[in-house]
Amino acid sequence: MSIDLQDIQGNIVKGYAQYDYPKARYVFYHIRNEVAGRAFVKGIAPLVTTGIPWNKKAKPNAADAPPPATTNIAFTYMGLKMLGVPRKSLQTFPEEFVMGMKLRKDILGDDGPSDPRHWDRIWRDTSVHLWISINGRDPASIETRYQEISHLVAESDGGIIQLSGHHGPDGSTDLPYQSASLIYKNGIPQAREHFGYRDGIGEPYFMASSGHPNRVIGGGKPTRGDPATRKGWEPLETGEFILGHRDEAFETPIAPQPPLLAFNGTFMVYRKLHENVGSFNRYLDTVGENYPGGKELLAAKFSGRWRSSGAPVTRFPTNATAETFEFQLNEAEARLYAERENPSKEAKEAYVALRTQMAAFDYNHDLEGSRCPLGAHIRRINPRGALEHGKEAFNTPGALTNRRRILRRGLPYGEVADDSRDDGDHGIIFIAINASISRQFEFVQQQWINYGNDFKLANDKDPLTGNHGVDSNQQPTGRMILQGNSTATENPFFCAGIPRFVETRGGDYFFIPSLTALHMLSNGTVDPT
Amino acid sequence: MSNIAGKAYAMNVVTPAKWYWVWVNKLFFWFVQLPGGAAYLKGLLTLSLIHYARWAIVSPKEFPHLDESQPKEKLKYSYMFFFSNFNGSWDQYVDSFHAAIPQGLDLFWFKNVKYPKSVPLQPFHAYITYNQIWTSHYYSAYPLATSNDIKSARHLTRELRAFSESSARADPLEFHEAYQRLLRDVQQDISIMERTPIVSLSAQAVEQRLDQADAERADQ
Amino acid sequence: MMDIIRVLVTGLLRRWYDNLRNLLTGTRPPAGAAGLTVLCPIINDSDGNQSHVMALRQHLQDLPLHENSPMAAVPNTYLCRFYILNDVFYQGAPAEEEHLKSKYLVYSTNFHGDLDSYLSGMWEHAQESIRQVWRHCVAFENVRTTADFVAYMKKCQVRNHLFFNGSTGDPLNRQLKSLYLKQEFSRFVYDHQNTPPEDLQRAFQAFIARTQPGNPDSPTWVAGADTESIKT
Repeated sequence: MSIDLQDIQGNIVKGYAQYDYPKARYVFYHIRNEVAGRAFVKGIAPLVTTGIPWNKKAKPNAADAPPPATTNIAFTYMGLKMLGVPRKSLQTFPEEFVMGMKLRKDILGDDGPSDPRHWDRIWRDTSVHLWISINGRDPASIETRYQEISHLVAESDGGIIQLSGHHGPDGSTDLPYQSASLIYKNGIPQAREHFGYRDGIGEPYFMASSGHPNRVIGGGKPTRGDPATRKGWEPLETGEFILGHRDEAFETPIAPQPPLLAFNGTFMVYRKLHENVGSFNRYLDTVGENYPGGKELLAAKFSGRWRSSGAPVTRFPTNATAETFEFQLNEAEARLYAERENPSKEAKEAYVALRTQMAAFDYNHDLEGSRCPLGAHIRRINPRGALEHGKEAFNTPGALTNRRRILRRGLPYGEVADDSRDDGDHGIIFIAINASISRQFEFVQQQWINYGNDFKLANDKDPLTGNHGVDSNQQPTGRMILQGNSTATENPFFCAGIPRFVETRGGDYFFIPSLTALHMLSNGTVDPT
Repeated sequence: MSNIAGKAYAMNVVTPAKWYWVWVNKLFFWFVQLPGGAAYLKGLLTLSLIHYARWAIVSPKEFPHLDESQPKEKLKYSYMFFFSNFNGSWDQYVDSFHAAIPQGLDLFWFKNVKYPKSVPLQPFHAYITYNQIWTSHYYSAYPLATSNDIKSARHLTRELRAFSESSARADPLEFHEAYQRLLRDVQQDISIMERTPIVSLSAQAVEQRLDQADAERADQ
Repeated sequence: MMDIIRVLVTGLLRRWYDNLRNLLTGTRPPAGAAGLTVLCPIINDSDGNQSHVMALRQHLQDLPLHENSPMAAVPNTYLCRFYILNDVFYQGAPAEEEHLKSKYLVYSTNFHGDLDSYLSGMWEHAQESIRQVWRHCVAFENVRTTADFVAYMKKCQVRNHLFFNGSTGDPLNRQLKSLYLKQEFSRFVYDHQNTPPEDLQRAFQAFIARTQPGNPDSPTWVAGADTESIKT
């Protein structure tokens, strides 16, 4: 079945950063009365960016022309309630969405410094009802769109309140919105986060995905074929990410009622994650000194990818192999950037070939983890069939992973003024899109990031994003084993005292309606009868 | 009342089957226990979520009858009693089985009355939920351990004891080398157990109320 | 299909051979993990101002948990549970509707060793707790001795058609000692990543002296404890 991409919000099927929208503004609103709320949504609806494939050569106002700035909208449970969605319909929404992120803290591991008590003020004091994201090519386009929306707020005559209370870099605690942006180096936007890792590489590929068909490699679900080729992968079912379509359980996912409210919609997780850059650098420096492979290999073992190139360590296990790859990738990217107005076929193909190598792998040749540790970040969040432990024992190698995938749509925020310090306001605005927040995002967060039994690692956590604790002397207790190679007499290395590198600073769960559902919400015609 | 004891979850499912079909289930259960038949349990072993599980089929005549005061059961169906002790949440367990070994599950519950098959998932969920019985008291000898932990602890202990004996008279350098060899042999067994992540917010709330009641009792 | 026939034939031959050999040599296969399922009919009458089934259910629900559970005292119990089978479930038309005439206490335990020793141990180490539970069951008032208890449980036993061991079949004290050693040795390894050989050897000797890997009963983990609790 084909999918009506004009009925689907564009942020579901497109990571805007990959379409040359390096900057974003996230704005949150409170609905004071239903009538104003519906009028506001009605005003926003025509601005909403859909999933229609873009044609760079289209005339500026054509339906398929990339807009100067995108706009998307989503609602919390309280937001839907404020819009007058009937109780019968509200009761069909999933428990975690109804509760919201704050009340899920014990499942998410938001404890200690990540406890909601320490979140940005907007997430503590007020009730967020509505989220609007504006992604843009440049600050001016974002500002123009923001002004249009602010005008609608003004027209609501107090019925809609834009919520402030975002913390900012200079100690401010009452910013009116959250800004986010790719990090720039020499004026060129980089797909990189503040610890220095190249980001945004692993992207699930599903039936309705756009982009080069090679993206199925590493992005789809594993088959028993060669993981280096397209034979090794198949697209995931659309229903893992968009409601109303077949999912990996061979059925249509559980969804809110009436069906039209849910159809072509989905759920979104928004999370502001602070990065303790100083602690991270100190740990790498100190432990990297004793680690035989050195600091960069240690960083690569934490993540599963080399920091500068993003090359997977299971495929490029040594500094030398990684450096050769990085050189080629830099060349290909520079060429593509130089030709960005009208890229040649060769430039595109050279780049695609290298990008494919970054994703074209599984762990069947690395079962003991001597290249990519069993507890490395990317091996945890997407085990790529590794939970079969090389045994071909399951119906499909992705049996335990295909229903745990999430689309990530976030961007870094803030700037690191002093990379020896943890304070300041910088990190990642983590945005995840999935058909079930509890089955996908929360499961990954609880079982794979903050726990280790599926990897036979008892209570070990993700070294980078796990909620590492402290002992009674306030000393950090995080740990990670970098497995050795038992046949080549390469010794394992044990990293102790890992502090919490990433802390939660706020967030919530949202419902992203289809354009049809948005129309129904704005007219107050949602009727589950 | 709880289905949870630390890292273990107790599942009980009781389902009817026609007497003339249960011999197929019995044959299958018998078959997989033969040497060589265990290959059919490979998926179950690889999932590695279970401490111990069992299936018991009770025919109408087999319901225990202890004395005259107890009326005899008059039943048409045989009943299959399933018991599992697994690590993780209900959803994680049921979903893992559905995705990893659906054909195996369909053989275990072959021809049980109204068994919907393990794929798709929602009817299977509904079937298990409808036929599940909550545990009144559940005990685990090791609430902090999963079956993975117990298996790895066994391997580690064997290697550690052998090393401790063989290295007793080594000089420091020999010792160091042998120690590194030991670590390579047991690297998959080195990990630290802590309390379970919470299985559900409801279970956690119950646990907190019980802890509170305990504390109050201790205060008095 | 050929695969299945091969397994059947070799499996059967192997089983007959093993049985014959055990019979001739008088040996018994090593005891490992086993499962016991019992269904005990509950007295269909009142127990004071409650029915027996209500009283029993409340008693079970209120039993202390973890290391304070009466089952923690029963040797070689890995995991066990109690539930009450009120009735069988009607599956809806066109399935037949039928009902049980008695309610049953279902006791399901996973243990190490042979059944007789396990049941004797259960009676000997938790007799009072057992009486508090089983006094609600039909004909339990006749149970006075260990032998009575073993016989009673066997009469209530139903056959397990498949017992799946996804763990180990070691005696419980060995399992607990191994868990204790895994935990302690893992800490040792993390604490000594960069220790020079001489210090490492000394530290290891101290570790062995402290943890006594050869002594299965001390120091070790306390059975049933849900926090790290060490028995010396």
